[in-house]
Amino acid sequence: MTTLWLTLYILIWPSISAVVLFVIVRGFFRDMRAARQAGRDMV
Amino acid sequence: MVEPYYQFTTTTTLLLLLAFYGGTFLMSLLVRHKNENVDGYMVSSGQVGFGISAASMTATWIWAASFYAAASSAYTYGLSGAMHYGFWGALMILFIYPFGQRFRKLAPNAHTLGELMHARHGSSSQLILALSNVLGSSISLMVNFTAAGAVVSILSPLSFVHGVLIAGIGTLAYTFWSGFRASILTDVAQLIALMGVAVIIIPWVMFSAGGPEVMVQGLERLTAEQADFFSRTAILEQGAPFFVAVLAYAIGNQTIAQRLFAVRQDLIKPTFLTATLGYGAVVIGLGMIGLMALLLGVQPDGGDLNNIIPQMASTYLPPFMIGLFFLLVVASLSSTADADLTALSAIMMTDVYAKNIVKGRADPQKMLLIGRLTMIVATMVGLILASFALDILVMLVFVGALWGTVVFPVIASCYWPRVTNRAFTWAVLGGMLLFTTVRFELLPMVGVVGFGFEMIAAVGAGVVAGLMSFGFFGRTVGLAVGLIATLVSAWYFAGFLGDYTVLLASLVAYGASTIICVALSLMSQEHFDFDLIAQRVRRFQATDAQPDETGAVPAPQPSPAE
Repeated sequence: MTTLWLTLYILIWPSISAVVLFVIVRGFFRDMRAARQAGRDMV
Repeated sequence: MVEPYYQFTTTTTLLLLLAFYGGTFLMSLLVRHKNENVDGYMVSSGQVGFGISAASMTATWIWAASFYAAASSAYTYGLSGAMHYGFWGALMILFIYPFGQRFRKLAPNAHTLGELMHARHGSSSQLILALSNVLGSSISLMVNFTAAGAVVSILSPLSFVHGVLIAGIGTLAYTFWSGFRASILTDVAQLIALMGVAVIIIPWVMFSAGGPEVMVQGLERLTAEQADFFSRTAILEQGAPFFVAVLAYAIGNQTIAQRLFAVRQDLIKPTFLTATLGYGAVVIGLGMIGLMALLLGVQPDGGDLNNIIPQMASTYLPPFMIGLFFLLVVASLSSTADADLTALSAIMMTDVYAKNIVKGRADPQKMLLIGRLTMIVATMVGLILASFALDILVMLVFVGALWGTVVFPVIASCYWPRVTNRAFTWAVLGGMLLFTTVRFELLPMVGVVGFGFEMIAAVGAGVVAGLMSFGFFGRTVGLAVGLIATLVSAWYFAGFLGDYTVLLASLVAYGASTIICVALSLMSQEHFDFDLIAQRVRRFQATDAQPDETGAVPAPQPSPAE
């Protein structure tokens, strides 16, 4: 296994985690904005 | 002897824990109402948005044991080890969503899956689900509080019991008053903490340990099996048993069901797809620390594989990052523990009190009281079991088996009108009996007996593959895949699977319960009207809100002045 492949194999997971985290946080702020506009609780 | 772990001072440890539990408690005050709504206490409004739902699902499914086990698997099985834990665990979340959509369609106002089964069949099938979840969530609480005690005792001068007590009381404090609503809101902060830290520490450990070149040099340390990404040993000992458990843990677990009933119905799919990716990436990523330990030739302290991650963090991270790692562990265990508390309270409120004690004439105020008392009792039980380090993990074997036996009866009950309460109950009891026979080797798995059990296991493999296909592609594909998988498995398992007791027993649980459920259902004349479920499963507290297009009635929102 080459250095490149092993590096990619180990680092791909934190990269995906970062993308998912961004999507979730963006979704959370959208939920918060929608709740505020509708005048209701988020949960 | 050199201490393998970094040591925080007592003050630093207490400040970290105070910051975490104090912060989550203050966050829970944001959604607190003086007069909580009983339905909101269990499933929020049933209209929760994508961000909170995805965060909650991901945070709940990641517990401390997830990444400790993924790292252990990577350390043991090499290149594919972390995948054989995290990938299959992620699939659990993925495969539930088609069935989750069906559950919501049948019972848009449900609080527990047991409640849906009560409307479909009656008490015995409901109480089977309730019992399995009481056991499962109690064990989960114990494991999470134990993880807190372990990380506190390893990284600080405080004792194991101190860690257990702080985690238990801290989690109860922010979950007690608002229940599920507090649980899912605090999950957002907990997920940001644990995911954000994971994103940083994985590459940090790698480069701090010498970078990719050193890792590649370490490949020489691997055995042929560890270096093989398609290692047969890894598949049979780690991947396959976990894969078989995929549907069982997803279908049987109230913490998942509760989130299925809370999220807005049209958001179930994106929520669960996101959680699948999030769980998989975090757990496999942290599992890579176990692989790095293997490549670096690190020996686990005391031979305990659970020490690998704290050891690697202590060795390769600076003190500030070790502090963040500490918060990662606390966030992951707390998010799962609060989900277990809310799951247990919903089961006692709905499945035990409302449906079986007062039989539908539930008093919302009494329900809230029962829910809160349940949380206190459950926390005390979890603390006692964890503090005395009682070995009750054998119960987890039974819970896993129980969930395995309910998979087919639960799913079939939601699609096939001929399934009866008798078929459901006997399927579970029969499946458990045969599972116990195999798992504890009450009969020698040789000759005709062994062959018979291997054939039941082949049916179990067909059921797993068939149900997974059925969820996504419908009945025809599901039946075809199930049949082919059964035939292929029968050929492959004969004279072979008896050597793999755990896998054989798990598959027998699926296969036996399916055979009994199908046989008894075919003998029945029942033709259940599925529309009755939505009529029977209602909100507990009166509301003026109108049902939405899905039939769900949003829980009333008390005014902030209440």
